[in-house]
Amino acid sequence: MKDLTYSPKTSGPAYWRSLDELTETPEFRQWVEKEFPESTLEAPSGQSRRDFVKIMGASFLLGGVGLTGCRRPEETIVPFSKMPQNYVHGVPQYFATSMPTRDSAVPLLAKSNDGRPTKVEGNPDLSFGKGGTDAFAQASLLNLYDPDRSKKFLKVGNASTRSAALGGLKAISSKFQGNKGKGLHFLVQPTSSPSRNRLETMIREQLPEAKWHGHEPVDFRNASKASVKSFGKALRPMPHFDKAKVIFSLDNDFLGAEQESYSHIRGYADGRRLKETEDHHSTMNRLYAVESLMTLTGSNADHRLRVTSGQVFSVAAAMVEEIFNQIGNSDDDAGSPITALRSSLREKAKAVAVDPKWITESVKDLVAHQGECLVVAGYRQPESVHQLATALNVLLGNLGETVSYVSDNSISYDSFEALKGECDAGSVDTLVVLGGNPVYDAPADFDWKITQRKAKTVVRLGYYDDETSDGCDWHLPMAHYLESWGDARSGDGSYLPVQPLMAPLFDGLTELEVIARIAGNDEIKPYDIVRTTLKGVVGEAGFEGQWKQFLHDGYLESLKPEKVDMKADAFDWSAVTREVSQAITEADQSSSASKDSLEVVFHRDSSMDDGRFNNNGWMQEMPDPMTKITWDNVVLMSRRTAAELGGIKNKEMVEIVLDGRKVQGPVWIQPGFADFSLGLALGYGRTHSGRVGGIDSESVGFNAYAIRASKNSNFGTGAKLNRLNRIFDISCTQDHWSMEGRAIVREANLEQFEEKHDFAQNMDLEAHTSHIPHDDEGNPAEIYEHPYKARPSTSSDIHQWGMAIDLQTCVGCSSCVVACQSENNIPIVGKEQVANSREMHWMRIDRYYSGNPETRGKASNLIMDDQQPYQEWIDDPQVVNQPMICQHCESAPCESVCPVNATVHDHEGLNVMAYNRCVGTRYCSNNCAWKVRRFNYFDYNKRPIDQLYEGPLASRPEEDIDLIEMAKNPDVTVRMRGVMEKCTFCTQRIEQAKIAKKVAARDSGDIEVADGTIKTACQQACPADAIAFGNLLDPESKVSKLKKSPRNYAVLGFLDTRPRTTYLAKIRNPNKNMPDYHTMPLSTLEYTENMGSPFEEHGSAHGGEAHESGHAVETHSEGGQH
Amino acid sequence: MSDVFPKWTNKLPIRVIVGLILLGGATVVGLTYYATPKYTRVGYQPVQPVAFSHAIHADQLGLDCRYCHNAVESSWYSNVPAASVCMNCHNQVKKDDPKLAMVRESYDSGEPIPWVQIHKVPDYVYFNHSVHVNRGFSCVECHGPVNKMDEVYHAKPFGMSFCLECHRNPAAKIRPLDKITDLDWKWDEDPQKASELQQTHGDQMVHDWRVESLVNCSACHR
Repeated sequence: MKDLTYSPKTSGPAYWRSLDELTETPEFRQWVEKEFPESTLEAPSGQSRRDFVKIMGASFLLGGVGLTGCRRPEETIVPFSKMPQNYVHGVPQYFATSMPTRDSAVPLLAKSNDGRPTKVEGNPDLSFGKGGTDAFAQASLLNLYDPDRSKKFLKVGNASTRSAALGGLKAISSKFQGNKGKGLHFLVQPTSSPSRNRLETMIREQLPEAKWHGHEPVDFRNASKASVKSFGKALRPMPHFDKAKVIFSLDNDFLGAEQESYSHIRGYADGRRLKETEDHHSTMNRLYAVESLMTLTGSNADHRLRVTSGQVFSVAAAMVEEIFNQIGNSDDDAGSPITALRSSLREKAKAVAVDPKWITESVKDLVAHQGECLVVAGYRQPESVHQLATALNVLLGNLGETVSYVSDNSISYDSFEALKGECDAGSVDTLVVLGGNPVYDAPADFDWKITQRKAKTVVRLGYYDDETSDGCDWHLPMAHYLESWGDARSGDGSYLPVQPLMAPLFDGLTELEVIARIAGNDEIKPYDIVRTTLKGVVGEAGFEGQWKQFLHDGYLESLKPEKVDMKADAFDWSAVTREVSQAITEADQSSSASKDSLEVVFHRDSSMDDGRFNNNGWMQEMPDPMTKITWDNVVLMSRRTAAELGGIKNKEMVEIVLDGRKVQGPVWIQPGFADFSLGLALGYGRTHSGRVGGIDSESVGFNAYAIRASKNSNFGTGAKLNRLNRIFDISCTQDHWSMEGRAIVREANLEQFEEKHDFAQNMDLEAHTSHIPHDDEGNPAEIYEHPYKARPSTSSDIHQWGMAIDLQTCVGCSSCVVACQSENNIPIVGKEQVANSREMHWMRIDRYYSGNPETRGKASNLIMDDQQPYQEWIDDPQVVNQPMICQHCESAPCESVCPVNATVHDHEGLNVMAYNRCVGTRYCSNNCAWKVRRFNYFDYNKRPIDQLYEGPLASRPEEDIDLIEMAKNPDVTVRMRGVMEKCTFCTQRIEQAKIAKKVAARDSGDIEVADGTIKTACQQACPADAIAFGNLLDPESKVSKLKKSPRNYAVLGFLDTRPRTTYLAKIRNPNKNMPDYHTMPLSTLEYTENMGSPFEEHGSAHGGEAHESGHAVETHSEGGQH
Repeated sequence: MSDVFPKWTNKLPIRVIVGLILLGGATVVGLTYYATPKYTRVGYQPVQPVAFSHAIHADQLGLDCRYCHNAVESSWYSNVPAASVCMNCHNQVKKDDPKLAMVRESYDSGEPIPWVQIHKVPDYVYFNHSVHVNRGFSCVECHGPVNKMDEVYHAKPFGMSFCLECHRNPAAKIRPLDKITDLDWKWDEDPQKASELQQTHGDQMVHDWRVESLVNCSACHR
C-alpha cells in the first residue's frame, strides 16, 4: 500500500491532515482558517524571497537573449487527400454504441472529435436509463487513453509481434481440431453479447470436449439463479422502481453498487419526485432498507435497519412470516409447502435481533400497497434471500406490476472450481483466459497464480499487462470497447451495438476475434461476426437497412425483448421451502457475528468496481459517495465495533484474519454501519496495475481478495482483528460530518411539507435575524448594489442562465463528478495533494450526517473532527447529499476581490474565468463562501503525479502526453499551473448551442436557444435527472418552473450574492408508525434547536413575502438595448 | 576638493550614456518586436508547397470561396480543401501542368499536401467561422482581399483589439448575407456614401437580426 507517512520520500514533519495530531489549538485554528492549508513540504528552504526575485530577473534576461524562441513556429495544415463523405472538420460526431458490463451493457452516445472519442454520454433514446450513466461509463473513456494499457503482444513476457501471436492462435486451433478440443479450456467472464454466445455455441459443437468456465469476482447473477429454482427457468427480474410506491430493499444497493444502478436511479427518482394528486396532496415513494454497509440506498432510505449481512436472511424470513400473519395463509393444509415453509421460517424469524415492530409496521405498509410495492434483494445475498424476496413479491401481488421478468439468455458455464480441479489434475493442455484478472481476483483458496501455471500453455487476452499476464505463454492486448466491434444486451434485454469510433490504437484484439481464430472460423473480423449474428436474428430481407438503423439508433425497435409474463401461480413454493430450510440449517451452523467472530463483507467498490478501474485516475480520485475517501480502501466498521474491540482509533492500521488468511488495512469508522461487521472494498491493492493504481508496495489500498475464499465470497463470519498500533493517512475530502444545525441542506417530512410548502424559505437566515440589514418595510435589504441594476446595459435580455438542483431526487451517486471531469479537462492531483485539499473537481457532492439531538446533544456543542467518529449519535444517522458547484452569484464576491479582473461576469449571468488574466493570487477563492474554486498548484497535465514537486525537472514521456492529449475536450482550455478555475456552467456547451442557433437563424432574429437544448455535463450524466439548467428569462423553461417551487432556496442566501444555482429542499417520507420515526428530519431537528421550527411562523423578522432565497433573476431589459 | 567627488564618478557620465543607449536600444528592439505588425504577423507570406493563386481562381475565374472552403458555413473551422477537390477540375484543366504535380501525387498516394498555416489565433481563442459568415460578416474583414492575392499573406493583425473593434460595433462591418463571399462588394463606389449606407443599414440589420455585441470573456474564451 502507498503509505504516505512511512514512505521514505516524505520524511520530515508530518504535514498530513491528520487531525488527531492537529487538535492542539494554534495550528488547528490556522488550518481551519486557511482555504488552502500549506504543507510544510513547501516551506521555503535555502532561498529567500529576495533571492527568488534575483533569479527571476536573471531568467528574464536570459529569456530576452533567446527571444527568437517566442516566434510562432511554422505549422502546416494537412487536409485530406480525398474528401470523406459526410465529414466536416471541426464538427463533432456522435455514435451510438454501448459499454459492455458483466452480463449487461450501458447504452451510450460517444462523441468523436476528429476521429478520437472525447466523451461518452447515455443514449437518451433508450427507455433503459433514459440517457443517464454511471460513473464507470463516464470514466471508461480514460481507460482508452491509459498510457499503461497493454500495447504489445507478449510471448512469455517478451515483446513479440501480432503476426507471431496470431500464428500461435492458429497453432492452438489446428491442434485441437483433431481431438475435438480435449484439453482446451476457456476461462471467461459472463457476457451479454449475442455474438460471443453464438461463437461459443459454435465451438461447443465443433470441439465438444473443450470446456468453458465462467468467473466473475463480483457476481450479480444470484437473482437469475434463484429464478431457476423459483420459476423453473432463468429469468432476470426487472424491478420497476418508478411504479412502486413502497420499496423494500434487502441489502440491495440499487442506487449504488448494483449492476445498472443508473437505470434503477432513474426509476427511483421518478417515483420519488413529488407528484400532486387530484385532491392536492403530494405523493412520493417510500424506501425501506435493510443492510449492513452504509450504502447510497440506505442513506436515501426513509427507514433503515442495520443488521449484519448474515442477518438479512432472518429479516427476510421474519417478513414472509409476518406477511402470512397479516394476509392470512391461503393454503393452510398441513402438508402444503407453504405451511412447511412457515414452520421453518417461524423458528428463524424468532432469531432476528431487531425490533419486531420495525418488521410488523413495514410489512403493514407493504400490505397496504399490494401490487404497487416492491421487494428487492441484493447481489451479495444468497439465492435463498432472493427466493424469499420473490416470495414476498408474489404474496404482495407485485408480479407483472412492479416487477417483470425478461428471459436470461446468457450461457451457463462450468464453474471456476471445476477448472481448478482440472488444472490440479494436470488435464488442462491449453488454457485461454479471456479478459478478467483471475490471478488477482480469484478466490484466495485457489492460489490461482500457481494453479494457472499447471496448464501447459496459457493464452491470455487482457486490457492490461497485469497480474494474470505475468507468466502467460501468450499475452494478447485487448481492444477497448470504443475501438472494437461487438454487441451486447442491456439489462432489459435490448439488443445494442458496440460500435468503434476508431481503429484499435495498439492493434488490440477483441474477444470475438480470438474465439473465432481458435475456432478456426473463416469469418474472423468482429465486424462480420456481429453482422452475421444480427442477420440470424432479423433475417436476410432488408438487412442492410436494419443494420444501418441499428448502428444509427443504437438499438432496434423490432428487437425489443419480450417480457416473460410470470404469474404468481408459477412460483414454486416447495422449491423455496426446500431451499430455505437448507439455508436455515447452514445458517445455524455458522456463527453469528460478534466481537470475537466478526463478519467480513466484501463489496464492489464505488470507484474500482472489482479492480478493473484500478489504473483509472478519475475513479481513484473520485471521493467515495459515502466515506468521501479518495485513493484508498478502508476497513469499514461501526463505532460500537471499534469501541468494543478496545477503542480502535479511526485510521488505525489493523490486521484482519479470516480462516488463517490475513490482510492489513486502515480502519474507518462509518456512521450507520452494522455492528460487528467489517466492510472491505474489493479492487485495491493491485500488485501489477500501473502508474496510477501502483505496482507492488506502491499500490493503492489493500487487497481484500487475499482473504476472500470461495466459500464466503460475499460475506463470512469468524474474522479476528489485530491492532497494529499505527495510524495510516487517508485522503478524505470531507472531514466534517455535521451541518451543526445550519440550513445548508433543508429537509422536511412529507406531512410537514403538506402543511407548509415554503418551509425552506422560512429557514433563510435573513428571515430570522436582526443582524441582516432590513429596509424600512422590514424586508432584508440589499447588501450590495446589484451589478446588473447598476449597469443595465451589461445584462442580456435574451438568455440568463440558471440551475436548480433537486435534493429530493439526487441520490449522491457521483456520476456527475466524473462527467464534469471528462467534459472540462479536469486533472487528477494524486493522494498527497488531495490530503492538502487541492483536489480539482469542479463539482463535489457534500455529504452530511445528522443525528438525533437526544443522543447527539446540542448541535452548538462543537465537536472536533477527530472526535466525531466516537460520538454515539453516528450509530443511526440520517444522511443528506448536496452537489456543490460554482453558484454563479450575481453579486459575486470572488469578482470584487480579483486584482486583475480575471474573474468577471458575462452578460448572461455566468461568472467566468479568463485564465490568461489570472495571476494566481487566490483572493477569489478566499472570498468564496461556497469553496468551489480550484487552484492549479502544479502543472498537473505535464508532470507525473508523484513528481509534482520536481517542477520542470519532471516531465511525462512524449508518447504518454500524446495519448493523454487525445482524451482532452478540444472545446475547453487546458489550464496550467498558477491558474484558478471552477465550474463554468459548461460555457462551451452554451456557446455551441448559441452559435448553432445563430447559424440557423441567419438573417432572422430567432436566436433564443430553446429550453432543453443545452445540457451541462453533470445534468446529462445525472441518472436521477435531478439537475435542471436553462434560461431564466423563459418562464416556461424547466429551470424557471423549478425555481418557482416553494422548495427552492439558495445556500447561504443571506450573503445577498444572489446565486444562480439554487436547490430544492429534500422531502422525506417516513412512516409514522415505525419505531424509528422522527417528527422531522434529524437535520431539521438540529436546526430547530438553534433557530426554532421552520414549520411555524415565528417572530416579526419574517417579512411575509420578503424571502428572496430563490431570487428571481434580476434583469433590466426595460428600455431595450437595441 | 578632490574628496567631494570620488574617483569613480569620473566614469559616471560615460556610464550614464552607455546605459541610456542600451535602454534605448532595448526599447526600440522591444517595440519593434512586440508592437509592430511583424509580431502580429501582418505581411507574413510563406512560400506554399503548391503555387496556388487565389487571384486566378477567385477573381479571374470567379470561383466562390465556398467551393473549396466548403465547411466554413457549418464548422468553427474553415477547411483547406482536399486534393480531390482540386482534381475535380484539374483532371480536365491543365491536367499535366508540372506545377500541379504535387496535387496529383497527393490524390494518388493519399499523402496530404503540407500547406503552411498563415492565419492562426491562439489555442485559448475559440473563433467560430460559421457564426460569422452566417450572420453577415465577410471573409474580407479578417482575411483581407484574398481574391487579389497571388500568394496569400496575413493582411490584418489578429490581436484581441482587432476582434474587439468589430465586436464593439458590429454595425460597422455587417453586410447582406448574399455578399459574404463577394470580397469586392461595397455599399457604394463613393466611400463617403458607402460609409453612410453602412451605418444606416448596419444599425437596421443589427437590430433586426439581433446581432449581439459580445465583448465578454466567455464569447471567445472557454
